[in-house]
Amino acid sequence: MTSPAAEMGIVKAVRQISDGCWDVSVQAPFNALHSRAGQFVHVRVGEGFNPFLRRPLSVGPCREGRLRLIFTVRGRGTRLLTGSSPGDKLDIIGPLGNPYQMPDEDEVAVMVAGGIGIVPLLLLDDQMSPKQERMFIAGFRSGSLLTVDGNEATARRIRVATDDGSMGFHGTAVALLQNCLAEYQGKRPFIYACGPGPMMAAMKKFCSERGIRAQVSLEVPMGCGLGACQSCAVPRADGKGYLLVCHDGPVFDINDVDLTPENRP
Amino acid sequence: MNLDTTIKLGGLELRTPLLTGSGTFGYGDEFKTVMDYSALGGIVTKSISPQPRPGNPPPRICETGGGGIINSIGLANPGVDGFLADKVGCLPIGQTRVFLSVVGDSVEDFVTVVDKLESVAGVDGYEINVSCPNVRHGGLSLGGDKDAVKAIVSAVRSTTHRFVSVKLTPHHPAVEPMAEAAVKAGADALTLTNTLIGMAIDVEKRKPLLGTVTGGYSGPPLKPVALAMVWRAAQAVDVPIWASGGIVNGLDGIEFLLAGATCLQLGSVLFADPYAPGRVLREMEEYCLRHRVTKLTDLIGKLEPRR
Repeated sequence: MTSPAAEMGIVKAVRQISDGCWDVSVQAPFNALHSRAGQFVHVRVGEGFNPFLRRPLSVGPCREGRLRLIFTVRGRGTRLLTGSSPGDKLDIIGPLGNPYQMPDEDEVAVMVAGGIGIVPLLLLDDQMSPKQERMFIAGFRSGSLLTVDGNEATARRIRVATDDGSMGFHGTAVALLQNCLAEYQGKRPFIYACGPGPMMAAMKKFCSERGIRAQVSLEVPMGCGLGACQSCAVPRADGKGYLLVCHDGPVFDINDVDLTPENRP
Repeated sequence: MNLDTTIKLGGLELRTPLLTGSGTFGYGDEFKTVMDYSALGGIVTKSISPQPRPGNPPPRICETGGGGIINSIGLANPGVDGFLADKVGCLPIGQTRVFLSVVGDSVEDFVTVVDKLESVAGVDGYEINVSCPNVRHGGLSLGGDKDAVKAIVSAVRSTTHRFVSVKLTPHHPAVEPMAEAAVKAGADALTLTNTLIGMAIDVEKRKPLLGTVTGGYSGPPLKPVALAMVWRAAQAVDVPIWASGGIVNGLDGIEFLLAGATCLQLGSVLFADPYAPGRVLREMEEYCLRHRVTKLTDLIGKLEPRR
């Protein structure tokens, strides 16, 4: 894995994908080349020191030296990022954290995304061997919030679930997963999950009941992003203290972290 | 014009007055791939306690609207034995000066930790943290008690010949008696100041933003508070003062030097800008060039009277 480095990226394109969801394309050859699926970049937003902290953003699909930062607007920092213009400089540190493990040859890679959690999984889908048997499930609140923006071939393969039934399967991504896994009877699934807290808790229950190997990537408020400040703690599943999202994650074995909603940061 | 940036702390020479603030820089190697250490005079590690501390329930960090942050890490650390087993190799000994931050709940705790840390060769000194707002016992409650500070510093003083700075709280109404007590008990320097207790609320959810509700407020909004404390302490005692509180650029550093600080700690700023040490030093050099200052120490305490 490549050590993180400071990189001054150049914004190439800024575009709104859907209500509250944006896609900022940044020329950042080092991070575009070295980021592995699940890793993140720590991005400075705005001028000066207000907002003060960097924003940790998942690395999405990378092509031709460009990083895709696809995110939902949560507050002032991410809103400022949507105001970038082509040519603006973007102070980036990355790639940070641990990536998803690649599946074994005899495993079926099953990617399960919730909302904006699709971003690292799009990169995983890109970086897996073309021969890898795989399934990609993405759940959204409604079809209008569809944030799929990989290449066309990927988009066609993604099985969509919407909470309101406006597109694809009517129900949660986890319910759709249950239906789809039947297609792969006799094969070992390796689940890669990224999404909102309640969905991750449901995934953990689903996987532990069936003894399925799974990795989950988490997002929490973060300070340095380098393992020094210990701001980004998540409780360990065994109750013995905490793990750090920036240093031990953001990708974890789903059994290692306590994902019960009341314990999530 | 070449600016002389070196400073002296007792028998120690530091190539610049810039130090890292405890808790923001881990044990010294976490930033190594993105930071040039050459602008740093030294580092101050994360606080080391007698026993391991898991830290506080998350969330542990949040921003405030005014450009500050509040943290509630809770002095998470592996304890002194864990530090000795796993972290000594992280220290940038030989690259820059190394000061170990020490925390405890009692006089005995501080002595136990310092005594064990004496075995680590190449360490230049300690910062005694009697002012953390994020733990239930010790920390701030000790730092608000003049007799407790005196007892801790005296006991540490008789345990080590290394350089000792004592990190004081901004919450005590009068800094002078605390500063005098620490110095009388043998402190070689004072660090001013630790974070202020702060709180932030998510009004949509009607919930506190931190797992512990309150935490330590830091960043640029803390600077005026820290500056006042540095200035007042500098009038009261005759030891070097390590300024800590909201320094993000070179002019902030110059302000603290003029107020009487000898060293300048970069803390929270490292989260936003890990390149801050080099930048802050360059900005101070630009100021010195403009004002024909050739030696950075010539600025220490050189605040002119208002009239």
